[in-house]
Amino acid sequence: MSFLKLSQVNFRYPKQEKLTLDNINLEIDQEQVTAVIGPNGSGKTTLSKVIIGVLPATGGQILLQGSKVEEYSLAQIGRRIGYVFQNPDLQLFCGTVAEEIGFGLINQGYEADRVKERVDFYLEYFHLAEYRQAFPLHLSQGEKQRVAIASVLATEPEFMILDEPTVGLDAYRKKILAAYLQKIARSGRGMILISHDMIFVNRLADRIIQMEKGCIVGDSDGKGDNDHDT
Amino acid sequence: MDAVIVKDLSYQYWPEGPQVLKNISFQAARGEMLVITGLSGCGKSTLCYCLSGIAGHRRDAVMQGQVLVNGKDVRGLRAASLALEAGMVFQDPDTQLFSPSVEDEIAFGPENLCLPPDEIRARVDQVLDLLDISSLIKANPYHLSGGEKHLVALAAVLALDPPVLILDEVMSRLDRHGVMRVTEVLQTLRNAGKTIIAVEHRLETVTFADRLMVMEKGALLRWGTTKNILADQEFLAAQHLLD
Repeated sequence: MSFLKLSQVNFRYPKQEKLTLDNINLEIDQEQVTAVIGPNGSGKTTLSKVIIGVLPATGGQILLQGSKVEEYSLAQIGRRIGYVFQNPDLQLFCGTVAEEIGFGLINQGYEADRVKERVDFYLEYFHLAEYRQAFPLHLSQGEKQRVAIASVLATEPEFMILDEPTVGLDAYRKKILAAYLQKIARSGRGMILISHDMIFVNRLADRIIQMEKGCIVGDSDGKGDNDHDT
Repeated sequence: MDAVIVKDLSYQYWPEGPQVLKNISFQAARGEMLVITGLSGCGKSTLCYCLSGIAGHRRDAVMQGQVLVNGKDVRGLRAASLALEAGMVFQDPDTQLFSPSVEDEIAFGPENLCLPPDEIRARVDQVLDLLDISSLIKANPYHLSGGEKHLVALAAVLALDPPVLILDEVMSRLDRHGVMRVTEVLQTLRNAGKTIIAVEHRLETVTFADRLMVMEKGALLRWGTTKNILADQEFLAAQHLLD
Protein backbone atom coordinates (compact mmCIF):
# COMPACT_ATOMS: atom_id res chain seq x y z
CA MET A 1 0.00 0.00 0.00
CA SER A 2 1.31 3.44 -0.92
CA PHE A 3 1.81 5.99 1.84
CA LEU A 4 -0.07 8.54 -0.29
CA LYS A 5 -2.37 7.86 -3.21
CA LEU A 6 -3.91 10.68 -5.22
CA SER A 7 -6.62 9.80 -7.75
CA GLN A 8 -7.97 12.35 -10.23
CA VAL A 9 -7.28 15.21 -7.83
CA ASN A 10 -8.33 18.69 -8.93
CA PHE A 11 -8.00 22.01 -7.17
CA ARG A 12 -9.31 25.44 -8.04
CA TYR A 13 -8.70 28.57 -5.96
CA PRO A 14 -11.85 30.62 -5.20
CA LYS A 15 -12.92 33.00 -7.98
CA GLN A 16 -10.41 31.43 -10.39
CA GLU A 17 -11.50 29.97 -13.70
CA LYS A 18 -8.45 27.81 -14.24
CA LEU A 19 -7.70 24.65 -12.29
CA THR A 20 -4.46 24.96 -10.31
CA LEU A 21 -4.28 21.16 -10.09
CA ASP A 22 -5.72 19.23 -13.00
CA ASN A 23 -6.37 15.51 -12.73
CA ILE A 24 -3.41 14.52 -10.56
CA ASN A 25 -2.83 10.78 -10.24
CA LEU A 26 0.12 9.90 -8.06
CA GLU A 27 1.32 7.26 -5.62
CA ILE A 28 4.09 8.10 -3.15
CA ASP A 29 6.12 5.54 -1.19
CA GLN A 30 6.97 6.30 2.40
CA GLU A 31 10.63 5.31 2.06
CA GLN A 32 11.45 7.34 -1.04
CA VAL A 33 12.64 10.88 -1.58
CA THR A 34 10.28 12.20 -4.24
CA ALA A 35 11.20 15.55 -5.74
CA VAL A 36 8.48 17.71 -7.29
CA ILE A 37 9.88 20.18 -9.76
CA GLY A 38 8.43 22.52 -12.37
CA PRO A 39 8.17 26.17 -13.38
CA ASN A 40 6.91 28.90 -11.03
CA GLY A 41 3.14 28.69 -10.75
CA SER A 42 2.91 25.09 -11.96
CA GLY A 43 1.07 23.99 -8.81
CA LYS A 44 3.84 22.38 -6.72
CA THR A 45 3.06 24.18 -3.46
CA THR A 46 -0.70 23.84 -3.99
CA LEU A 47 -0.25 20.09 -4.49
CA SER A 48 1.61 19.80 -1.18
CA LYS A 49 -1.04 21.84 0.68
CA VAL A 50 -3.81 19.68 -0.78
CA ILE A 51 -1.95 16.56 0.36
CA ILE A 52 -1.75 17.75 3.98
CA GLY A 53 -5.38 18.90 3.97
CA VAL A 54 -4.71 22.61 4.44
CA LEU A 55 -6.42 23.14 1.09
CA PRO A 56 -9.35 20.75 0.47
CA ALA A 57 -9.24 19.21 -3.03
CA THR A 58 -12.00 20.43 -5.37
CA GLY A 59 -12.33 16.92 -6.79
CA GLY A 60 -10.83 13.46 -6.64
CA GLN A 61 -9.53 11.44 -3.73
CA ILE A 62 -6.43 11.48 -1.54
CA LEU A 63 -5.61 8.45 0.57
CA LEU A 64 -3.10 8.74 3.41
CA GLN A 65 -2.02 5.30 4.62
CA GLY A 66 -5.16 3.89 2.99
CA SER A 67 -7.69 6.28 4.56
CA LYS A 68 -9.25 9.37 3.04
CA VAL A 69 -7.26 12.45 4.03
CA GLU A 70 -10.44 14.36 5.00
CA GLU A 71 -11.13 11.73 7.66
CA TYR A 72 -8.03 12.85 9.56
CA SER A 73 -7.86 16.02 11.63
CA LEU A 74 -5.06 18.44 10.72
CA ALA A 75 -3.33 17.42 13.97
CA GLN A 76 -3.49 13.74 12.97
CA ILE A 77 -2.03 14.56 9.57
CA GLY A 78 0.62 16.71 11.26
CA ARG A 79 1.73 13.75 13.38
CA ARG A 80 2.26 11.69 10.22
CA ILE A 81 3.62 14.33 7.86
CA GLY A 82 6.04 17.06 8.92
CA TYR A 83 5.65 20.12 6.71
CA VAL A 84 8.22 22.84 6.14
CA PHE A 85 6.60 25.88 4.54
CA GLN A 86 8.25 27.82 1.75
CA ASN A 87 8.22 30.91 3.93
CA PRO A 88 9.54 30.27 7.47
CA ASP A 89 7.82 33.44 8.72
CA LEU A 90 4.53 31.53 8.44
CA GLN A 91 5.80 28.78 10.68
CA LEU A 92 7.72 30.45 13.50
CA PHE A 93 5.83 31.76 16.51
CA CYS A 94 7.72 31.00 19.75
CA GLY A 95 9.66 33.47 21.89
CA THR A 96 13.03 31.78 21.44
CA VAL A 97 14.73 29.47 18.97
CA ALA A 98 15.06 26.73 21.60
CA GLU A 99 11.33 26.90 22.40
CA GLU A 100 10.51 26.77 18.70
CA ILE A 101 12.49 23.57 18.17
CA GLY A 102 11.13 22.02 21.37
CA PHE A 103 7.48 23.00 20.83
CA GLY A 104 6.45 19.94 18.81
CA LEU A 105 8.28 17.59 21.17
CA ILE A 106 6.60 19.04 24.27
CA ASN A 107 3.21 18.74 22.56
CA GLN A 108 3.92 15.12 21.74
CA GLY A 109 4.45 14.46 25.44
CA TYR A 110 8.20 13.97 25.53
CA GLU A 111 9.97 14.16 28.93
CA ALA A 112 11.81 17.42 29.60
CA ASP A 113 15.24 15.71 29.51
CA ARG A 114 14.54 14.16 26.14
CA VAL A 115 13.24 17.49 24.79
CA LYS A 116 16.41 19.25 25.95
CA GLU A 117 18.62 16.55 24.47
CA ARG A 118 16.97 16.81 21.06
CA VAL A 119 16.82 20.59 21.06
CA ASP A 120 20.53 20.73 21.90
CA PHE A 121 21.32 18.31 19.09
CA TYR A 122 19.40 20.28 16.45
CA LEU A 123 20.76 23.62 17.65
CA GLU A 124 24.27 22.24 17.27
CA TYR A 125 23.68 20.42 13.98
CA PHE A 126 22.16 23.40 12.21
CA HIS A 127 24.66 25.91 13.65
CA LEU A 128 22.01 27.66 15.73
CA ALA A 129 23.50 27.19 19.24
CA GLU A 130 24.47 30.86 19.56
CA TYR A 131 20.83 31.82 18.83
CA ARG A 132 19.30 29.52 21.47
CA GLN A 133 17.66 32.45 23.29
CA ALA A 134 17.16 34.67 20.22
CA PHE A 135 13.69 35.66 19.00
CA PRO A 136 13.23 33.57 15.82
CA LEU A 137 11.77 36.42 13.76
CA HIS A 138 14.86 38.53 14.46
CA LEU A 139 17.08 36.07 12.62
CA SER A 140 18.21 36.27 9.01
CA GLN A 141 16.12 34.45 6.39
CA GLY A 142 18.60 31.59 6.13
CA GLU A 143 18.70 31.19 9.91
CA LYS A 144 14.89 31.27 10.12
CA GLN A 145 14.75 28.59 7.45
CA ARG A 146 17.12 26.40 9.49
CA VAL A 147 15.01 26.90 12.64
CA ALA A 148 11.83 25.95 10.75
CA ILE A 149 13.47 22.83 9.32
CA ALA A 150 14.97 21.85 12.69
CA SER A 151 11.56 22.27 14.40
CA VAL A 152 9.98 19.81 11.98
CA LEU A 153 12.87 17.33 11.98
CA ALA A 154 12.99 17.31 15.80
CA THR A 155 9.63 15.54 16.02
CA GLU A 156 10.94 12.79 13.73
CA PRO A 157 7.81 12.54 11.55
CA GLU A 158 7.26 9.38 9.52
CA PHE A 159 7.22 11.43 6.35
CA MET A 160 8.01 15.02 5.43
CA ILE A 161 7.15 17.61 2.84
CA LEU A 162 9.75 20.32 2.37
CA ASP A 163 8.72 23.26 0.18
CA GLU A 164 11.79 24.99 -1.24
CA PRO A 165 13.94 24.20 1.81
CA THR A 166 17.10 25.65 0.26
CA VAL A 167 15.76 29.18 -0.31
CA GLY A 168 17.86 31.54 1.80
CA LEU A 169 20.41 28.85 2.64
CA ASP A 170 24.06 29.32 1.73
CA ALA A 171 25.93 26.53 -0.07
CA TYR A 172 27.50 25.27 3.17
CA ARG A 173 24.19 24.94 5.02
CA LYS A 174 22.61 23.32 1.94
CA LYS A 175 25.21 20.55 2.11
CA ILE A 176 24.60 20.07 5.83
CA LEU A 177 20.84 19.86 5.24
CA ALA A 178 21.30 17.42 2.34
CA ALA A 179 23.50 15.18 4.49
CA TYR A 180 20.89 15.07 7.27
CA LEU A 181 18.02 14.41 4.88
CA GLN A 182 20.03 11.62 3.23
CA LYS A 183 20.58 10.10 6.66
CA ILE A 184 16.90 10.06 7.58
CA ALA A 185 15.92 8.86 4.10
CA ARG A 186 18.30 5.91 4.54
CA SER A 187 16.49 5.09 7.78
CA GLY A 188 13.27 4.67 5.78
CA ARG A 189 11.64 8.03 6.45
CA GLY A 190 10.95 9.52 3.05
CA MET A 191 9.84 12.91 1.90
CA ILE A 192 8.44 15.07 -0.86
CA LEU A 193 10.97 17.70 -1.80
CA ILE A 194 9.73 20.72 -3.75
CA SER A 195 12.62 22.63 -5.24
CA HIS A 196 14.05 24.54 -8.17
CA ASP A 197 17.54 23.76 -6.95
CA MET A 198 18.51 20.87 -9.23
CA ILE A 199 21.91 20.37 -7.56
CA PHE A 200 20.07 19.72 -4.28
CA VAL A 201 17.39 17.60 -5.98
CA ASN A 202 19.96 15.47 -7.78
CA ARG A 203 21.81 14.85 -4.50
CA LEU A 204 18.70 13.51 -2.78
CA ALA A 205 15.85 12.42 -5.00
CA ASP A 206 15.03 8.78 -5.76
CA ARG A 207 12.23 9.91 -8.03
CA ILE A 208 11.46 13.17 -9.82
CA ILE A 209 7.92 14.30 -10.63
CA GLN A 210 7.73 17.18 -13.06
CA MET A 211 4.72 19.51 -13.07
CA GLU A 212 3.55 22.04 -15.59
CA LYS A 213 0.34 24.11 -15.60
CA GLY A 214 -1.21 22.03 -12.82
CA CYS A 215 -0.53 18.66 -14.44
CA ILE A 216 2.09 15.98 -13.96
CA VAL A 217 4.11 15.89 -17.17
CA GLY A 218 7.03 13.70 -16.12
CA ASP A 219 7.88 10.93 -13.66
CA SER A 220 11.44 9.61 -13.69
CA ASP A 221 14.21 8.15 -11.53
CA GLY A 222 16.35 10.59 -9.58
CA LYS A 223 19.93 10.52 -8.23
CA GLY A 224 21.39 11.37 -11.59
CA ASP A 225 22.57 14.40 -13.43
CA ASN A 226 19.06 15.40 -14.38
CA ASP A 227 18.74 18.59 -16.28
CA HIS A 228 15.01 19.12 -16.23
CA ASP A 229 13.71 22.50 -17.25
CA THR A 230 12.56 23.97 -13.95
CA MET B 1 30.42 60.74 -8.59
CA ASP B 2 29.67 57.22 -7.36
CA ALA B 3 25.96 56.37 -7.08
CA VAL B 4 26.46 54.62 -3.74
CA ILE B 5 29.16 55.49 -1.19
CA VAL B 6 29.40 53.60 2.09
CA LYS B 7 31.93 54.88 4.63
CA ASP B 8 32.85 53.11 7.87
CA LEU B 9 29.34 51.73 8.29
CA SER B 10 28.56 49.89 11.54
CA TYR B 11 25.10 48.89 12.67
CA GLN B 12 23.35 47.54 15.76
CA TYR B 13 19.60 46.88 15.86
CA TRP B 14 19.50 48.12 19.46
CA PRO B 15 22.13 49.84 21.64
CA GLU B 16 23.29 46.77 23.57
CA GLY B 17 22.79 44.44 20.61
CA PRO B 18 25.48 42.70 18.59
CA GLN B 19 27.30 44.67 15.92
CA VAL B 20 25.64 43.29 12.80
CA LEU B 21 27.76 45.40 10.44
CA LYS B 22 31.35 46.28 11.27
CA ASN B 23 33.12 49.20 9.69
CA ILE B 24 32.12 48.57 6.08
CA SER B 25 33.30 50.84 3.28
CA PHE B 26 32.80 50.55 -0.49
CA GLN B 27 31.47 52.44 -3.49
CA ALA B 28 29.37 51.53 -6.51
CA ALA B 29 29.46 53.57 -9.70
CA ARG B 30 26.61 54.41 -12.05
CA GLY B 31 26.03 51.54 -14.44
CA GLU B 32 27.75 49.06 -12.17
CA MET B 33 26.44 45.80 -10.75
CA LEU B 34 27.82 44.62 -7.45
CA VAL B 35 26.97 41.29 -5.83
CA ILE B 36 27.11 40.66 -2.08
CA THR B 37 27.55 37.10 -0.86
CA GLY B 38 28.47 35.28 2.35
CA LEU B 39 27.05 32.73 4.78
CA SER B 40 23.54 33.20 6.22
CA GLY B 41 23.51 35.71 9.06
CA CYS B 42 26.66 37.58 7.96
CA GLY B 43 24.79 40.87 7.57
CA LYS B 44 23.92 40.96 3.86
CA SER B 45 20.25 41.86 4.32
CA THR B 46 21.06 44.41 7.04
CA LEU B 47 23.49 46.07 4.63
CA CYS B 48 20.66 46.22 2.06
CA TYR B 49 18.37 47.83 4.65
CA CYS B 50 21.09 50.43 5.35
CA LEU B 51 21.57 51.18 1.64
CA SER B 52 17.83 51.58 1.08
CA GLY B 53 17.56 53.85 4.12
CA ILE B 54 15.18 51.59 6.04
CA ALA B 55 17.71 50.63 8.72
CA GLY B 56 18.67 54.23 9.40
CA HIS B 57 15.07 55.10 10.26
CA ARG B 58 14.63 52.25 12.70
CA ARG B 59 13.96 53.42 16.25
CA ASP B 60 16.60 52.36 18.81
CA ALA B 61 19.06 51.31 16.11
CA VAL B 62 22.66 52.50 16.29
CA MET B 63 23.99 53.36 12.84
CA GLN B 64 27.49 54.76 12.57
CA GLY B 65 29.32 55.91 9.47
CA GLN B 66 27.70 57.19 6.32
CA VAL B 67 25.61 55.90 3.43
CA LEU B 68 25.27 58.24 0.47
CA VAL B 69 22.96 57.40 -2.41
CA ASN B 70 23.30 59.77 -5.34
CA GLY B 71 25.16 62.11 -3.01
CA LYS B 72 22.38 62.20 -0.41
CA ASP B 73 22.71 60.84 3.11
CA VAL B 74 19.99 58.20 3.46
CA ARG B 75 19.34 59.22 7.07
CA GLY B 76 18.37 62.71 5.96
CA LEU B 77 15.69 61.51 3.51
CA ARG B 78 12.06 60.60 4.20
CA ALA B 79 10.82 57.21 3.00
CA ALA B 80 8.96 58.65 0.00
CA SER B 81 12.06 60.52 -1.20
CA LEU B 82 14.25 57.48 -0.60
CA ALA B 83 12.06 55.33 -2.83
CA LEU B 84 12.95 57.58 -5.75
CA GLU B 85 16.67 57.21 -5.12
CA ALA B 86 16.94 53.51 -4.29
CA GLY B 87 14.34 50.78 -4.83
CA MET B 88 14.64 47.61 -2.80
CA VAL B 89 13.19 44.17 -3.45
CA PHE B 90 13.01 42.26 -0.17
CA GLN B 91 14.14 38.69 0.35
CA ASP B 92 10.59 37.77 1.34
CA PRO B 93 8.14 39.19 -1.24
CA ASP B 94 5.20 38.66 1.15
CA THR B 95 6.48 41.62 3.18
CA GLN B 96 6.25 43.87 0.13
CA LEU B 97 2.99 43.00 -1.62
CA PHE B 98 -0.32 44.44 -0.43
CA SER B 99 -2.57 45.24 -3.41
CA PRO B 100 -5.55 43.13 -4.56
CA SER B 101 -4.16 42.70 -8.07
CA VAL B 102 -0.76 42.59 -9.75
CA GLU B 103 -1.77 45.57 -11.87
CA ASP B 104 -2.63 47.66 -8.79
CA GLU B 105 0.56 46.57 -7.05
CA ILE B 106 2.74 47.80 -9.89
CA ALA B 107 0.72 50.98 -10.45
CA PHE B 108 0.86 51.97 -6.76
CA GLY B 109 4.31 53.59 -6.95
CA PRO B 110 3.76 55.57 -10.16
CA GLU B 111 0.31 56.69 -8.87
CA ASN B 112 1.99 58.08 -5.77
CA LEU B 113 4.40 59.99 -7.97
CA CYS B 114 1.25 61.69 -9.39
CA LEU B 115 2.15 60.63 -12.92
CA PRO B 116 -0.51 61.04 -15.64
CA PRO B 117 -2.74 57.94 -16.14
CA ASP B 118 -1.28 57.23 -19.59
CA GLU B 119 2.23 57.23 -18.18
CA ILE B 120 1.18 54.92 -15.31
CA ARG B 121 -0.46 52.52 -17.79
CA ALA B 122 2.65 52.57 -19.96
CA ARG B 123 4.97 51.85 -17.04
CA VAL B 124 2.82 48.96 -15.79
CA ASP B 125 2.67 47.40 -19.26
CA GLN B 126 6.38 47.95 -19.82
CA VAL B 127 7.56 46.17 -16.65
CA LEU B 128 5.02 43.35 -17.05
CA ASP B 129 6.38 42.77 -20.54
CA LEU B 130 10.01 43.16 -19.45
CA LEU B 131 9.67 40.42 -16.83
CA ASP B 132 7.35 38.28 -18.98
CA ILE B 133 4.52 38.28 -16.44
CA SER B 134 1.75 39.98 -18.46
CA SER B 135 -0.43 36.89 -17.94
CA LEU B 136 -0.54 37.66 -14.21
CA ILE B 137 -1.93 41.20 -14.59
CA LYS B 138 -5.35 40.51 -12.97
CA ALA B 139 -4.13 37.92 -10.44
CA ASN B 140 -4.16 38.50 -6.70
CA PRO B 141 -0.49 38.68 -5.65
CA TYR B 142 -1.22 36.52 -2.58
CA HIS B 143 -2.43 33.70 -4.81
CA LEU B 144 0.81 33.56 -6.77
CA SER B 145 3.69 31.17 -6.29
CA GLY B 146 6.81 32.33 -4.42
CA GLY B 147 8.75 32.95 -7.63
CA GLU B 148 5.89 34.85 -9.26
CA LYS B 149 5.53 37.03 -6.14
CA HIS B 150 9.21 37.93 -6.38
CA LEU B 151 8.81 38.94 -10.04
CA VAL B 152 5.81 41.13 -9.14
CA ALA B 153 7.77 42.77 -6.29
CA LEU B 154 10.62 43.44 -8.71
CA ALA B 155 8.20 44.83 -11.31
CA ALA B 156 6.68 47.19 -8.72
CA VAL B 157 10.13 48.57 -7.89
CA LEU B 158 11.15 48.87 -11.55
CA ALA B 159 7.96 50.86 -12.27
CA LEU B 160 9.32 53.59 -10.00
CA ASP B 161 12.43 53.74 -12.18
CA PRO B 162 14.91 54.44 -9.35
CA PRO B 163 18.57 54.97 -10.31
CA VAL B 164 19.75 52.44 -7.71
CA LEU B 165 18.31 48.92 -7.32
CA ILE B 166 18.89 46.83 -4.22
CA LEU B 167 17.87 43.21 -4.70
CA ASP B 168 17.94 40.79 -1.78
CA GLU B 169 18.05 37.23 -3.18
CA VAL B 170 15.49 38.09 -5.82
CA MET B 171 16.31 35.00 -7.88
CA SER B 172 16.20 32.43 -5.07
CA ARG B 173 12.60 31.32 -5.79
CA LEU B 174 12.69 31.61 -9.57
CA ASP B 175 12.59 28.78 -12.07
CA ARG B 176 15.22 28.58 -14.79
CA HIS B 177 13.21 30.72 -17.20
CA GLY B 178 12.71 33.36 -14.50
CA VAL B 179 16.42 33.42 -13.64
CA MET B 180 17.36 33.85 -17.30
CA ARG B 181 14.78 36.59 -17.75
CA VAL B 182 15.89 38.51 -14.64
CA THR B 183 19.60 38.23 -15.49
CA GLU B 184 18.86 39.61 -18.98
CA VAL B 185 16.84 42.46 -17.48
CA LEU B 186 19.57 43.29 -14.97
CA GLN B 187 22.18 43.48 -17.71
CA THR B 188 19.93 45.76 -19.76
CA LEU B 189 19.29 48.01 -16.78
CA ARG B 190 22.98 48.17 -15.93
CA ASN B 191 23.81 49.10 -19.52
CA ALA B 192 21.18 51.85 -19.23
CA GLY B 193 23.10 53.30 -16.28
CA LYS B 194 21.34 51.79 -13.28
CA THR B 195 23.42 50.85 -10.27
CA ILE B 196 22.52 47.36 -9.05
CA ILE B 197 23.46 45.88 -5.70
CA ALA B 198 22.29 42.28 -5.39
CA VAL B 199 22.58 39.68 -2.64
CA GLU B 200 23.00 36.17 -4.02
CA HIS B 201 24.13 32.74 -2.82
CA ARG B 202 24.12 31.02 -6.20
CA LEU B 203 27.18 32.67 -7.71
CA GLU B 204 26.76 30.90 -11.06
CA THR B 205 23.71 33.07 -11.72
CA VAL B 206 25.61 36.37 -11.38
CA THR B 207 28.86 35.81 -13.25
CA PHE B 208 28.01 38.87 -15.34
CA ALA B 209 28.23 41.22 -12.33
CA ASP B 210 31.08 43.71 -12.31
CA ARG B 211 32.22 43.20 -8.74
CA LEU B 212 31.72 40.71 -5.94
CA MET B 213 31.79 41.42 -2.21
CA VAL B 214 32.25 38.57 0.27
CA MET B 215 31.04 39.27 3.80
CA GLU B 216 31.84 37.38 6.97
CA LYS B 217 30.35 38.02 10.42
CA GLY B 218 29.30 41.58 9.61
CA ALA B 219 32.58 42.60 8.00
CA LEU B 220 33.68 42.97 4.41
CA LEU B 221 36.10 40.07 3.95
CA ARG B 222 37.04 40.60 0.32
CA TRP B 223 35.90 42.51 -2.71
CA GLY B 224 37.13 42.68 -6.25
CA THR B 225 36.12 41.94 -9.81
CA THR B 226 33.69 39.04 -10.14
CA LYS B 227 36.07 37.34 -12.54
CA ASN B 228 39.01 37.44 -10.10
CA ILE B 229 37.06 36.26 -7.08
CA LEU B 230 35.24 33.48 -8.94
CA ALA B 231 38.60 32.32 -10.30
CA ASP B 232 39.88 31.88 -6.74
CA GLN B 233 38.15 28.57 -6.11
CA GLU B 234 40.38 27.86 -3.12
CA PHE B 235 39.16 31.00 -1.37
CA LEU B 236 35.50 30.29 -2.22
CA ALA B 237 35.80 26.70 -0.98
CA ALA B 238 37.44 27.88 2.26
CA GLN B 239 34.52 30.24 2.78
CA HIS B 240 32.03 27.41 2.06
CA LEU B 241 30.55 29.38 -0.83
CA LEU B 242 30.64 26.63 -3.47
CA ASP B 243 27.68 24.34 -4.14
